[in-house]
Amino acid sequence: MVGKPARPANAIDQTRRMLSLVTYLRERPGARVEDVARAFGITEDELISDLDVLPLCGTSFRGGDLLDIDTDGDRIWWHNPDDVAEPLRLAADEATALLVAARAVSTLPGLREGDRQALLRATAKVEAAAGEAAGASSRLSVTFESEGGVFADVDRAISERRRLWIRYYSPARDEVTEREIDPIRLVSVGHTYVEAWCRRSEARRTFRLDRVAEIKILDEPSAPPEIELRDLSEALVQPAAEDPEVVVEVGPGGRWVAEYYPHDSADELPDGGLCITLRTPDPTSLRRLALRLGRDGRIVSPQDLADSARQAAREALAAYDGPQTAYDEPHLRRGESAGPSGAPHGVDGRRV
Amino acid sequence: MAIAKAERLMNLALCLLGTRRPLSKRELRQSIEAYVEAFGPDRSAAGSDDSFNRMFERDKDDLRELGLVIETVENLDGDVGYLARRDSNRLPPITLDAEEAAALGLAAKVWQQARLAGAASGALQKLRAAGLPEDVDPYEAHGALEPRIPVHEAAFEPLMLACRDRRAVAFEYRKANAAHPEPRTVEPWALECWRGHWYLAGWDRGRGAERVFRLSRITGRVRTRSGTFTAEVPDVVTVRETVASWAGETADRSALIRLRTGSGYPLRAKATAVRELGDGWDELEIPYGHGLDAWLVEFGPDVVVLDPAELRADVVDRLRAVAKG
Repeated sequence: MVGKPARPANAIDQTRRMLSLVTYLRERPGARVEDVARAFGITEDELISDLDVLPLCGTSFRGGDLLDIDTDGDRIWWHNPDDVAEPLRLAADEATALLVAARAVSTLPGLREGDRQALLRATAKVEAAAGEAAGASSRLSVTFESEGGVFADVDRAISERRRLWIRYYSPARDEVTEREIDPIRLVSVGHTYVEAWCRRSEARRTFRLDRVAEIKILDEPSAPPEIELRDLSEALVQPAAEDPEVVVEVGPGGRWVAEYYPHDSADELPDGGLCITLRTPDPTSLRRLALRLGRDGRIVSPQDLADSARQAAREALAAYDGPQTAYDEPHLRRGESAGPSGAPHGVDGRRV
Repeated sequence: MAIAKAERLMNLALCLLGTRRPLSKRELRQSIEAYVEAFGPDRSAAGSDDSFNRMFERDKDDLRELGLVIETVENLDGDVGYLARRDSNRLPPITLDAEEAAALGLAAKVWQQARLAGAASGALQKLRAAGLPEDVDPYEAHGALEPRIPVHEAAFEPLMLACRDRRAVAFEYRKANAAHPEPRTVEPWALECWRGHWYLAGWDRGRGAERVFRLSRITGRVRTRSGTFTAEVPDVVTVRETVASWAGETADRSALIRLRTGSGYPLRAKATAVRELGDGWDELEIPYGHGLDAWLVEFGPDVVVLDPAELRADVVDRLRAVAKG
């Protein structure tokens, strides 16, 4: 099951599930193991382990009346169904988790209109059924960012299995390139990305939708090779072990680098800064970072990357020399807020 | 081997749901196998009462977290009994069609945080038990779209619970440019995820003002404080607007820059006016908000700031720091 978060077995979750399971089984004598597992979003093994516990549970005070639930591995039978098994009201956390997620998904700009309407209707019904338990759900909210038009085109191309042509901006090189891609799926983790087979590089690539400058759905069918979908729950792109290492030293004002760039290590420095070691297939892409950091940090290695940032700054400064040096007089720097002021626009340290 | 916790909780839940009259702690202790096994049938070994009581209280709390409404009833003799009445625990009737069910199925799997992922699937399972249609496999129907809500911050769960229960919290917070964290005591109002990062809005008791905190800057543990909120919770809490202004998205001025032809696509995308100069350079008007200087410097020699002077000076200042190495 792609992308479903893996969770350790947990007694609370299992109890919750078993309470619903008895209700479910009462209504469906002879239900198939396969169908029940799917309806509950669990593996058949998880379901079987629940079915091992249930016959040890009694419905009444002073024992007796143990749940007589058994399975032959294919179908499940409850021989003494009891009316204790009524549908249970939603807990506050359950209502919050479902409602916050539903509201967030309903704001996805590219969501199909029919799906959005269905989700809004469902949200209202769940809110009503949850009653007071829905109250705390307003204290949590999530906004997905994505480019509506691009999203809709990618979504359509995926469902119609068609190839896409895009003009895509790569911040690492500050250039816009044209590519044909065979889209595989859309992923929203803060920003929205399309995972695709890139026909230009003949490799799997992840493209951030807000960096797509232009998009067209082509007539050619999309034919991505059979590739195993990765679990994207940790990070969209994990650097490879063979990627070159870059060491960056930042002061307190550059600590955001550790928040935006996946890294191997971030060691505290005595001045409140960090020494960050990260890996990237293309160190030259970090020249932007060096320029952005200014006095808040510097590239320690590789040396040629540090040199190229210095060189770029000198070239840039040349444009300000001459008659307009009046601008060089000392001035007050604007105050910095507590916010992610130093953090870059849209830089997230991800490849492509 | 000790009886598994899930089995114990399940038995306690079914006992409390099944009874028509309040059951005393003693009755529950005697009738649930896991308690008998761990503590003996009755007040026997010294000290076992205390540990039974602690386990019983924890178990009740766990069931309440799962949504069970457990009443505590005192009878005429002053004995305390417990029961979970059917009518206060029953889900009100809810009918969802297949499309609505599929949409909820998609929403239920977006959490990447264990507690909320568990709670969301729990909600779906309760609805499933109540007859939510399952013709469409909720985990495959929307194969192409996979929204995920990332939660990497350790402070998230304690803050979520504190927001829910309206409890003040204390934590160490390191401001963006501060060398060291400082202690803060906050009445938490709301958490919001924007661009993949979580923020907390609340009343900062030390500063006597509303503040927004970025969760990744909270260091160490979040501790809850007893007592009620001292400041009124506003009807509408605006987290995103505050964060957007930090990110320079609330530009109220405009800047004039020169940009090398063919470069700086994101600057062009934001530009309100573009003029081709014909000498390999274009002139752009772009919104000028907080943080624009740092962004412009990223483009190195491909950008020259013309106006305003303040921005030009900031950029030059930053470039000099880099040039010096």
